[in-house]
Amino acid sequence: MIRFEKVTKRYPGPGRPALDQVTLDIDKGEFVYLVGTSGSGKSTALRLVLRELRPTTGRVHVAGKEINRMAGWKVPRLRRQIGTVFQDFRLLPNKTVTENVAFAQQVIGKSRREIGKVVPETLELVGLKDKGDRMPDELSGGEQQRVAIARAFVNRPMILIADEPTGNLDPATSAGIMNLLGDINQTGTTVVMATHDHGIVDQFTKRVIELDHGKVVRDEASGSYGFQH
Amino acid sequence: MQLRYVFTELRTGLRRNLSMHLAVILTLFVSLSLAGIGILVQREATVARDSLGDELKILVNLCTDDDPSHSPNCASGEVTADQQQRIEKEIADSDEVASSAFQSKQEGYDRAYEQAQRNNTQAAFEGPDPVVTVERWPAAYWVTLKTPERADGIISALEGLDGVSVIKDQRKALGQIFGIMTVLKYGSWIGAGFLLFAALLQVTNTIRLAALARRREIAIMRLVGASTLYIALPFLLEALVAAVVGVALAAGVLAAFQYWGVEKALSDHVQFLPWVDWGDYTQALIGLFPPGIVILGPALTLIPTLLLTRKYVKV
Repeated sequence: MIRFEKVTKRYPGPGRPALDQVTLDIDKGEFVYLVGTSGSGKSTALRLVLRELRPTTGRVHVAGKEINRMAGWKVPRLRRQIGTVFQDFRLLPNKTVTENVAFAQQVIGKSRREIGKVVPETLELVGLKDKGDRMPDELSGGEQQRVAIARAFVNRPMILIADEPTGNLDPATSAGIMNLLGDINQTGTTVVMATHDHGIVDQFTKRVIELDHGKVVRDEASGSYGFQH
Repeated sequence: MQLRYVFTELRTGLRRNLSMHLAVILTLFVSLSLAGIGILVQREATVARDSLGDELKILVNLCTDDDPSHSPNCASGEVTADQQQRIEKEIADSDEVASSAFQSKQEGYDRAYEQAQRNNTQAAFEGPDPVVTVERWPAAYWVTLKTPERADGIISALEGLDGVSVIKDQRKALGQIFGIMTVLKYGSWIGAGFLLFAALLQVTNTIRLAALARRREIAIMRLVGASTLYIALPFLLEALVAAVVGVALAAGVLAAFQYWGVEKALSDHVQFLPWVDWGDYTQALIGLFPPGIVILGPALTLIPTLLLTRKYVKV
């Protein structure tokens, strides 16, 4: 589903590359933690998958397509197959929960009928069936992250990318979010989660890819966080 | 494509940046009005030149049968082929003349009739026994001078020739009129140019602000796979609304100028000149060379918007 072939990403200016000859393969339906210290290259790897960046050298394949040479006009179609969740939720504060989730469908041209059907289903899946009319600032952090996950999943993407999704949450709430991501993974969606949260990685055991100074230093099928941070 | 969202965003955007949009509209309105007036003045100069000739030309009317000038040159009646040959040779041999063109009776009559129609004074050309007929209209030579200052030689040479009825030399009067028109034309274009540049800067600032205000929405739209066009559409429509309002106001001002300024005032007081009509007004609106305000307004807002949104909403 995601393949990096000797990918190097170098930002302008001096210094070492953000990613250095990274090769990795993530299959359809996998749940993968991407771990490593700040500056290890996790976010760069995720941005390469989203085609927000292009590799300096090497190839990135997503959903069977080599995306580093993909024409700009094809990128939106690629991104419709990828859902994204962030640490800071990134909800639209002037829209209700339902409107926030529906927004992801409206802007890619889904019909009102389809939106009317899929959005409530997705809110039910994330456990916010009764909170559709609330504004984001009326929700707890965990609930806001659920809205963000609902928005990322509402278009039923093949891949869900989560960048530190539990970074702002307490352990109990984080566990709830992990269960939700696990449920989404069970539907066949590939989940790639960058995290610092060793408690989560150790508790919800999955494949772990560790990056250090832009290199893959560990890739375990059922790993633990591996180092204390 | 869900246009409901686009129009909601358009409404929000227009409300959010109301003062900026008003500034763009007002600047566009004034600059397009000036540009339009510049185009009308240019058209006026063309119309006047077509009808009267420019300041480099003198008109040599040839004798007609029963010539109204009662010039001794016309004692033998209608100009003869020999006389005409002599006149032609005199013109061709003059070192003051750049070129010349013969205008037949029919061509002269048609031109005068057209001008009379413009000024609504065609009565003399019409009716069962019209005062002005093709037969009574003189054939003529349009003589183009090398410089407007030197024409004494050719005029004095032609004045005494048989077959020459009248020499119309309007260099001074026309020179002044065309001079004023040139100043007006370039003055309004330079003014319009500065203001259009100001409008351009305002458009870019407005888009920058709008992109800043929408940065969250834009970021999410990009992430979920909205197309660049869909993201840019509210910006383009905002620019288009500003352009349409600016163009409409300018078109109104130009219409008022044409109606009260040209038709009700100038053409009544200055009757020897033909004046621009509603056809020329239409040209100032939708003409291609120079571009009319209906083309200029949207181009000035949409092109920078397209370029800038490519920068701000790049996927």
